[in-house]
Amino acid sequence: MGPMHILLADDDEDDRQFFKEAFEEIKIKTYIKTVNDGVELMDHLNQKGNQIPHILFLDLNMPRKTGIDCIMEIKQLPHLQDMAIAIYSTSSSETDIEDTFIQGANVYIKKPSDFNSLKKILEDVITINWQYHTSGLNRDNFMISL
Amino acid sequence: MQLIKPGTLFKSSLFLRSVFVLSVVMLLYISSVSYKHNQALTESSELLVHSYKIQLQLERVLSLLKEAEIAQRGYIATSDTVMLRPYRIAPGQIYDSYLRLKSLTIDNHEQQFNLDTLLQLINFRFKLMDLTLKSSEAIPFNETELFINLRQGEHLMDDIQAQINKIDRLELLYLKNHQQTYEKEALFSPVSTFLFMIFSLLIFILSFLKINKDLHLLKKSNEQLLIINESIEHAEVIGEFFIWQWNQSTNELIFSDNLYRLLGVEPQSFTPGIANYLEFIHPDDKHIVAKLDETAFKEGRSDPAFYRIIRKDREVRYIMSVGKFIQDEDNKIHIRIGKDITEQYLSNVALEERNHELEQSIKELESFNRVASHDLQEPLRKIQIFVSRISEKDKGIMSETGKEYLTKIETSANRMRILIDDLLLFSRTNKAVKVFEKADLNLLLETANQELAHNIEEKNAVIQSDPLPVINVIPFQIQQLFVNLIGNAIKYCKPGIPPEIKIECTKLTSDQYPEFIKDKRKKYYKIAVSDNGMGFEQQYAENIFLLFIRLHQKSDYPGSGIGLSICKKIAENHNGFIIAEGHPGVGATFSVFLPA
Repeated sequence: MGPMHILLADDDEDDRQFFKEAFEEIKIKTYIKTVNDGVELMDHLNQKGNQIPHILFLDLNMPRKTGIDCIMEIKQLPHLQDMAIAIYSTSSSETDIEDTFIQGANVYIKKPSDFNSLKKILEDVITINWQYHTSGLNRDNFMISL
Repeated sequence: MQLIKPGTLFKSSLFLRSVFVLSVVMLLYISSVSYKHNQALTESSELLVHSYKIQLQLERVLSLLKEAEIAQRGYIATSDTVMLRPYRIAPGQIYDSYLRLKSLTIDNHEQQFNLDTLLQLINFRFKLMDLTLKSSEAIPFNETELFINLRQGEHLMDDIQAQINKIDRLELLYLKNHQQTYEKEALFSPVSTFLFMIFSLLIFILSFLKINKDLHLLKKSNEQLLIINESIEHAEVIGEFFIWQWNQSTNELIFSDNLYRLLGVEPQSFTPGIANYLEFIHPDDKHIVAKLDETAFKEGRSDPAFYRIIRKDREVRYIMSVGKFIQDEDNKIHIRIGKDITEQYLSNVALEERNHELEQSIKELESFNRVASHDLQEPLRKIQIFVSRISEKDKGIMSETGKEYLTKIETSANRMRILIDDLLLFSRTNKAVKVFEKADLNLLLETANQELAHNIEEKNAVIQSDPLPVINVIPFQIQQLFVNLIGNAIKYCKPGIPPEIKIECTKLTSDQYPEFIKDKRKKYYKIAVSDNGMGFEQQYAENIFLLFIRLHQKSDYPGSGIGLSICKKIAENHNGFIIAEGHPGVGATFSVFLPA
């Protein structure tokens, strides 16, 4: 099996940095690609020849195009139906959790405030048996916390 | 006040009308009876006169005949021709009487016949008298013949007398018959007339009484009307409304005095009329009033309306008006009640403005929350991650002071994190959608304990609980309440002594806690969480529920000072309340009261 393709859409440079550093320390072969906002994300996903990632980590609060807008667009595109979507946000507000769940995101991660926690949660997410996780969409295991 | 039932007077007028018709009929009857009676009387007297006339003529005939006879005898005795004069004129006069008798009895066939017979007999008599005269003058004088003629004359006279008597008797018979019928009628009519008169009199008396009563009623209802009118007028002034009556049948319009007052002019100072009224209407609202008038007239509909008037003193007032149609036998009256609602309207507008401002500030608060939840967390999270990176990677090469400072940064950042989280929790407790559902408090307590499992284990806390009820609550809030109260009890334990926490539940009787329970019909559960911890001075019992109030050094007991404020908010969200009791060094009890 080749490396796992992971895409992160986040407008915060530091967060992108932490994200990459965390994966560098995780002992799983991954290929990480980052984009800087929603518009860039959709351009990347719609670009022919680009590898469709296994998991998309999606920040909600982004300029130009928000995370929610992106999910709605993604759900309209047939070639992206197999891509898992993990919400990756600072917010833990009920509205945001509810909205993204309804729109069809697979998991919801609140950005941790500790680097070790970050590593742990990212490792957990990429080792989820997606086949199992997505088959029974369940509000209870949507939010992943430590 | 006894009000006259509508319709009483109407029924009364129906009664009076029938009495009037009856009286007219009876008067007509009485007059016709008297007239007939009079007629009969006249007829009888005429008949009497008629009979006497016939008798008179018959007597005249007889006496003329006798005079003629006497004259003839006189002449025979004296041969004086002067004596013969009555004899010569008698036939003419008798014939004259005969004609009169004929005309008197013209409609009586029997009498006509009798008269003709009489005339024949008289003619015979005169012929015989002529013969007798001739025989008396005859030369030679034949005594026997004269004698025979005289005797024969005597017989004829008897026959004539008999015939006259016959006519006379017949006439008397007629008179008698007539008299009898007349007497019968004359006896009947006075009695019936009298009875009718009495009856009419009774009816007149009855009618008079009835009219009198009606007049009394009318007077009374007039008085009542007067009182009602006065009351309405008074009410209009106090209630700032006016009445406008438009009789659509007669096109008569009445404005109440208060309408003028509300317009700021003298009562009845202009003629009631749409055009005159429109002059006081705000130019932008004229069409409303005009349309109102139109729909009432054309469609028979009276719509509510809201418009502005400009008073004489140029002050703008707001009028709300509703209308109604009142219909009786002849008239269709459109009544509109208008009310000056300026004060209510303006205060409403002010209230709406306040509401708007409030909404605005709530929105600002919400956006503040968003800032707190998101924007404040972002940099803090980064500080924390960077600190964790430094402490992980570079702690080895740092000086001791550097390490100490780093630890202090870590503690401060953590504290900041707790503050933000709790503040968020508090604001969410405030504005969360309050969905009540029946929940088993035992289960909620169980979940709370699971959430605190780490702390319970660390401090070896023992938690005992009474069975809790199933009541209508906002489940996640009650769970939060348990977490906060038990968490506090564990946190503020005495050093080295394992916390013992008791949760007791009782149903209150109505007369307990009168200072909190105003409505005695409401039932409450009291859920008391008590511990054996440090307790607190009772004087702080109320203050500890205030936001950011802390009784302890934050270095000893980390916390935001928000936890109990959240508990208070949750109790209030459930229409309940919370009180605290503390004994320093012994323990604390927090009692939550929730409606049963």
